[in-house]
Amino acid sequence: MRIDILWVEKYRPKKIEDIVGNEEAKATFVEWLTGKRKTTKKAVLLYGPPGVGKTALVNATAKEFGFTIIEMNASDTRSEKAVNEIAKPATSYVALDAFSGGTKGKGNMLFLDEVDGIAGNEDRGGVSAIIEIVEKSLVPVIMAANDPDIDKLRPLKKVCLLIRFHQVRIPLIIALLQKICLLEHVKAEFEALEHIAQNSKGDVRSAINDLQSLSEENHVLTLQDTMGLSSRNKDISMDETLRGFFSAKSIDEVSGLLFRSSVDYDEFLMSVSDNLPKRYTNPEELAAAFDLVSQADIYRGRIGTENWHLLKYFYNALSEAAAVAPQSYKPFELITPPIRIITLFWTKGKRSMLDAICRKIGAQCHVSHSKAKKDFVPYVKEILQKKKSSALIDWFKFTPEEVDFLIKMSKY
Amino acid sequence: MPIVLNPKGFKLPRIEKEKFILLIRLGLNYNQELGLFSVKNYNNIEKLIDAISGILGSEVIFSQTCTRCGKSFSCSDCKYVELCTTKDLPFSCVCPQCLRDRKQFEEYLEKF
Repeated sequence: MRIDILWVEKYRPKKIEDIVGNEEAKATFVEWLTGKRKTTKKAVLLYGPPGVGKTALVNATAKEFGFTIIEMNASDTRSEKAVNEIAKPATSYVALDAFSGGTKGKGNMLFLDEVDGIAGNEDRGGVSAIIEIVEKSLVPVIMAANDPDIDKLRPLKKVCLLIRFHQVRIPLIIALLQKICLLEHVKAEFEALEHIAQNSKGDVRSAINDLQSLSEENHVLTLQDTMGLSSRNKDISMDETLRGFFSAKSIDEVSGLLFRSSVDYDEFLMSVSDNLPKRYTNPEELAAAFDLVSQADIYRGRIGTENWHLLKYFYNALSEAAAVAPQSYKPFELITPPIRIITLFWTKGKRSMLDAICRKIGAQCHVSHSKAKKDFVPYVKEILQKKKSSALIDWFKFTPEEVDFLIKMSKY
Repeated sequence: MPIVLNPKGFKLPRIEKEKFILLIRLGLNYNQELGLFSVKNYNNIEKLIDAISGILGSEVIFSQTCTRCGKSFSCSDCKYVELCTTKDLPFSCVCPQCLRDRKQFEEYLEKF
């Protein structure tokens, strides 16, 4: 089963009414956008569990009302500087065609997806910069979050109209699946659709994927076909997916397996890379497989958090990597979890120690953590290796363990 | 026996000023001419139901409106009620009859 087009993509909502469920939230959002809702809030925060249509609503609304979306999502750095560089220009002018009276071309709409992901040093000052933009913006500012209750978002909530999204109800998912079956000429038993919808737990995307994987080939779907679903979606572990991946006899077999498995893509990609040398002992086969995995990696990067229409290319590249030489398969001991994750786990203590040292250097010398690590640590180490009782130890307030660590460390 | 309310318009007994303010803050709207309350904001719907239940002194549930046929129905008619995270809340849904009726569904699709 080589996937040509994902139904999730094919049936992506193009109009507001195509979005399943959350009618009340949709109505509130459209009222706000069209100015029919009496509110002084210049921005809106859509919040709720993943897969319920928050991003889809923004995209469909922009299309329907003629807005151009300027988007910053979790894959972008959202520091004060980045927000000011990208979002400020986009929100500080109104497009000329907005005055022309036409229905199309209303100018920009700023969309900040996954704002609850704004955290850490990379996004420093991001929230306050967003608030400033909201206050001065001439265009609609829309934000989306899964969890609006985190402390960092409290100031943002004050300037936003909050719109809550709920999990999509099972009857609505069944209705959507019925619609897709009708359009795809799939003869499906009602009980089969019911089972898929119940299994999806409110996630429309996973329900459509299940329907496609089970019915695309024969265009017939019975309850019996869906029986493997619950155990399949819940119980396929990374280990089982990897084993199935490497022992597959054909590209179709791997495609089917990847399509059904719900393992973390990034972790799976790392595990495949770790295990490829064990699977392919022939250097040429190994090179070909690595080439395909690197292609899959490129697609994974481009997918990010929302370009899921590229997922089929990711699947296909990985499937081909697994089936470079099906005849040469011999069972082997899998490396799992990925070496990178194990290494990070093993070196956590050392990294924490180095971080503590860099913090002390940074505080005394008024430099950043990264500057301390790059420009100071090598010299401090050199000095301490020559003279362990250096006055630097007292000045930096290093502990004896930190001094030992610095002297013995081979890589910083 | 729970009291079933229609989210588009329901009456409440006369309440104190503080309670009225609380209901409005939680998302109710009051139509002075008709003397009817309706749900305007769904963000705090669970708290709103608790507050109304407190006023009426009984469990309160909202009726559902079918997106296909427009009829009102109750969550207790639905066989997925135990799996639903929003049961008895006033959100859009499809009634059991419409869900089963393929002919009606095809007619509904033709509208689009």
